[in-house]
Amino acid sequence: MSGRGVRRYVEDLLNGQRPRRFPASAQDAAELRAAIELRAARPGDDGPRPEFVGSLHRRLSQSLAAPGPPPAARRIGRRGLAVGGLGIAAASAAVGVLADRALVGAAMGPEAAQPAEPLAPTSGEWRTVTSVTDLPEGAVQEFDAGPVAGFVERTQGAVTAVSAICTHQGCRLSLDPSARRLDCPCHATTFAVSGEVVSHHLPTAPAPLPRIATREVDGAVQVFVARV
Amino acid sequence: MQGSGVTLLPGPQWGVVAEDVYPDWEAIYHDNVHRIYRLMFAKVGNRPDAEDLTAEVFTAALRPLRVSSSVGQVRAYLLAVARTVLAGHWRRTLGREVTTLADEHVDLGSSEAEADATTAEPTTRAILDALPDNYRRILELRFLEACSTREAANAMGITVGNAKVLQHRALRRAAQLAEKATS
Repeated sequence: MSGRGVRRYVEDLLNGQRPRRFPASAQDAAELRAAIELRAARPGDDGPRPEFVGSLHRRLSQSLAAPGPPPAARRIGRRGLAVGGLGIAAASAAVGVLADRALVGAAMGPEAAQPAEPLAPTSGEWRTVTSVTDLPEGAVQEFDAGPVAGFVERTQGAVTAVSAICTHQGCRLSLDPSARRLDCPCHATTFAVSGEVVSHHLPTAPAPLPRIATREVDGAVQVFVARV
Repeated sequence: MQGSGVTLLPGPQWGVVAEDVYPDWEAIYHDNVHRIYRLMFAKVGNRPDAEDLTAEVFTAALRPLRVSSSVGQVRAYLLAVARTVLAGHWRRTLGREVTTLADEHVDLGSSEAEADATTAEPTTRAILDALPDNYRRILELRFLEACSTREAANAMGITVGNAKVLQHRALRRAAQLAEKATS
């Protein structure tokens, strides 16, 4: 039934909806290319919505504030390339930026799920996020600790914490307490409170959530976060 | 076919770039988000995808940026990331590279307004002008003037069914003309 996928795709384009995917033939691709160019040539509405610009700014800001290596840097590390130097996240007083060419290539690669390693900022501090008594066995609590947002939980007596920022595009996760799941509002990915991906609708699984170092001191539950 | 290989250095263009540097990532973001969005919109033709791809570019690009260089280098880097993000989008959704940013060049030293001038318009116009009248009209009504199928059919004095068939054939012909023009 060649042509049906194209017609639906074109109608979606014209309705301003996200076009539905289908396996396209070479001729389909040529027709869609023409359709896209025609649609993009419509006068007027080619700028981004201010709400989008604002919300992406917030998401990036949260994501950059979270300490530790991002998925891209972890991939680099696996390849044994140098990652050193200041990342944007750390370089609040950066005088400029240069992309490492190797990093560009790596940022493109398919997402690969890596084991989550606890984040260990080189310059950080312990911050109290809740009290030991408020975090009984099985409890999960959300916290904002300066640059880091996360979830802290107690399982089998041990306290662990993970980042509250989705590893796909940096959206803030929300806790579904009954299911003990962390839901991403952007692409419906769900994570376990331990950080593993539970379900996703992405072409490849996003990385698990970075873990954040925790400790219990004098009745307080603390997380280790980067100093900014 | 553009693959995963990324050519980051545009060569001679680097020499003409102003020595300006961005003070922080927010400056990079605000200076480039409109440009990247428009590039993406021109290549996917719809807002939801253009927004997602723009987000993907900045999410992938900002972290690995490292301290040192100029506005032009940052823009070239963002463009390189955008190319690969777009290629990945087509791989995921249609299995074919429908549009690319491969031939796109951004004047690295220019202001955003200049760099935003769309390159699609002249070719699109030329192709429309080369079509038979009724083909051109249906495409103009639907794509450029945002008419529904019914509105377009009324404007042309044909049935909705005929308008759909006409649009499909017109698009196919436009695609053939575009392919001929680039080959």
